[in-house]
Amino acid sequence: MALLEVRNVESYYGPILAIRGVSIDVEEGTIVTLLGANGAGKTTVLKTISGALEPQKGTVAFDGDNVTALEPDNIASLGVGHVPEGREVFPFLSTEDNLKMGAFTRAAGDLEGDLDTVYGYFPQLREHRKLAAGFLSGGQQQMLAIGRALMLKPKVMLLDEPSLGLSPRLVQEIGDIVVRLNEEQNVTVLLVEQNAKMALGIASYGYIMESGRVVMEDTTERLAESTDVQEFYLGMKSGGARGRRRWKKRKTWR
Amino acid sequence: MEEAEDMAMNETNTIDGHATISALFWSRATELQAKTVIREKDFGIWNEYSWSDWGEQAKLVGLGLKALGLERGDVCSIASEINKEWMFADLGSICIGGVCNGVYPTDAPNQVEYLINDSSTRFYFAEDEEQLDKVLEVRERTPTLQKIIIFDMEGLRHLDDDMCMSFEELLELGRGQLAENDVWEAEIDQAKPDDLMILTYTSGTTGPPKGAMITQGNMLFMMSTIKGALPMNAADRQLGFLPLAHVAGRMLYTFAVIESTCVVHLVENLETIAKDQQEVAPTFHFAVPRFWEKQFSQVSILQKEATKFGRWLYEFAINIGKQRAQYTIQGQKVPVRLAALYAFVNLWVLRNIRVLLGIQECRWLSTAAAPIAPDLIEWYWALGRPMYELYGQTECTGIATSNVPNDLRIGSVGKAMQGIEVALSENDEILIRSPGVIKGYWNQPEKTADTIQQDWLYTGDVGRIDDDGFIYVVDRMKDIIITAGGKNITPSEIENQLKFSPYITDAVVVGDRRPYLTCLVMIDLENVTYYAQENNVPFTNYTSLCHTQEVQDLVNREIEEVNTRFAQVETIKKFRLIDQLLDPEDEELTPTQKLKRKVVNEKYADLINEMY
Repeated sequence: MALLEVRNVESYYGPILAIRGVSIDVEEGTIVTLLGANGAGKTTVLKTISGALEPQKGTVAFDGDNVTALEPDNIASLGVGHVPEGREVFPFLSTEDNLKMGAFTRAAGDLEGDLDTVYGYFPQLREHRKLAAGFLSGGQQQMLAIGRALMLKPKVMLLDEPSLGLSPRLVQEIGDIVVRLNEEQNVTVLLVEQNAKMALGIASYGYIMESGRVVMEDTTERLAESTDVQEFYLGMKSGGARGRRRWKKRKTWR
Repeated sequence: MEEAEDMAMNETNTIDGHATISALFWSRATELQAKTVIREKDFGIWNEYSWSDWGEQAKLVGLGLKALGLERGDVCSIASEINKEWMFADLGSICIGGVCNGVYPTDAPNQVEYLINDSSTRFYFAEDEEQLDKVLEVRERTPTLQKIIIFDMEGLRHLDDDMCMSFEELLELGRGQLAENDVWEAEIDQAKPDDLMILTYTSGTTGPPKGAMITQGNMLFMMSTIKGALPMNAADRQLGFLPLAHVAGRMLYTFAVIESTCVVHLVENLETIAKDQQEVAPTFHFAVPRFWEKQFSQVSILQKEATKFGRWLYEFAINIGKQRAQYTIQGQKVPVRLAALYAFVNLWVLRNIRVLLGIQECRWLSTAAAPIAPDLIEWYWALGRPMYELYGQTECTGIATSNVPNDLRIGSVGKAMQGIEVALSENDEILIRSPGVIKGYWNQPEKTADTIQQDWLYTGDVGRIDDDGFIYVVDRMKDIIITAGGKNITPSEIENQLKFSPYITDAVVVGDRRPYLTCLVMIDLENVTYYAQENNVPFTNYTSLCHTQEVQDLVNREIEEVNTRFAQVETIKKFRLIDQLLDPEDEELTPTQKLKRKVVNEKYADLINEMY
């Protein structure tokens, strides 16, 4: 049994069907990535898992328990850390208070020790611990968002586009840290990404979504070899006989 | 029989005094002028083109080709989805004395290479960048190819290639020739009924495709006899959506339009067909069985979603419709009570379904090109729209037999049409003799000799003819299955019943020299997905959907249901699903999305062997 099991989930925004029948498995201790274009429904899947959205149909099971449509704080306290797209730090709180907010739902424990762990991964945050989070750079805010989720001591972390708006070097850095968290803290990761190169590099299994549906799933090695993934996600395509090919092949997803 | 032969030989067919398609087209264009003939949807707007437009554009294409060095009998190929340029280029090249061949836009580069070389194409019309790239990829190996003309230059601003030119440039070139008097008219006058006019490649199940040679006279004959089977007139509206490279599309949207002067509406693209059909509301509608099956399954699924009352009403309405059809099919008067009931269900149910399907104004539906389940034809009659099944082949320039009002039998393909003889050989193969039978296959004298013997076309279909002259097509001769037990079985009959299920798109029955029958099934993605979601069946993609137990059970139920209608030896014992979503570019599918039996048998040999 997988740690996180999403079965046939359908979620709506008002009358609009955003995901139609998505099923995903995340095995304990792995990094799984969810790729797809804008509007494919990746974020909706994460929101449905963490309880921010209630699915019309389908179930979400975490660690063997049905958690479908529980309140978000209940789900978080079970050990699901959601790092939302666009970081969403509390701009007027200091860095350290932001991190403490992450531990809000769990019974008080070794707060100081956990802060140290986070600062260990993100030394820059320690430097700016008294600074209001709004003054942090984009990269630092991303680190803060991940650190805040880490304070929850999550079993699984839902990362929504951590590379958004970051420089290539920072993307690399964030990617490395996700791998380290996975290995050292034993955090299972469900990673939503646009940056397919980074995501396929660090994850072991991947799903590809298109217009609210999973169209392909496989190990990341095999995904990276698929011609469709190469052309549509990795930007590798032959220029054709003229060297200036503009038209797109039909996607077959196999 | 000899008398009939003499008639066929002596009589030169003419339509309105013209003995060739070229002359007929040009007289239509010059006489009808401002009357609309083509409507084409572009970015959601229906644009109109008149006979003058078609005539002028064709003339410019023809003169342009002439200026490029086209000589009579040279082959032009067109690789494009259906659009007005296709029709302009077609008639332009035909009238100037060329031979026009259609290439399916889904053909792969190696197929394009084969077609160009086999037909010795000199001029190649490519729809857009995508079609252009395919031919550029292979042009090193196509020595006869001289010029590529591109319809749509989007994205090709930087194209600098001596072999390529835009359609606009070709027209411009033609415009420069207008001063040279009468070249165009002179070439049209030169056309003779015996001149080769179009090549239509037929997918050979054995060996590479063969180019059927259709002459001016073949097509003119077909157009003069088609009146009986498809009596269109100037007020009719057709929806143009079948590929023009296929003989049916070409015959109906181009030549039948020239003959009948009806208006053809070209769809925006293949995804917009349903919407376009609702907008156009054609009065005359020909389609392949796949299309009718799709419409039927759309309605079946909708009624599954309906309320209990809605479902009951639908069943009731169809039932009344079927009872009424018993009379209307035979051309008899409907009893008053039934007529009153029908008026009621028509108003509340059937009319709405017809509007949904865009057939509310159709006075004539017809189907051909593949076998169809008789139940489906009855369903359309029950909806209150007559459907007539036809039969024919590329090799007889389209159709040979047809059901007509007051003289039809559902399940048969009707009777031989005017001027066409149909007979059976000793082994019950259907034979056709008519002025529409082609000269032969291009560059393939041996294949020609196999197929056409003493003017009789050997169709390769097994059939029977009843006492009243109605013809029934049993199956393709080489598809007939002889089981290990020695029993002859016609797979298409079983397959048609299977395809009638909304969850099955296509199926191939296997069992030749095997102890029992099995089949490979291609599911209908949309309807099966809907079923899976309704029943909380988890799946990710097409493959995993096929592998779920629930879907296997669903298909099993559908097959069991069909099995009840057949004798014990004809029942399907096991099945497997084709777990990859196929698209027309795959070799398993024909351009009309049918599974190719031979390819499927070879490609899925392992899957088939598993079942034995």
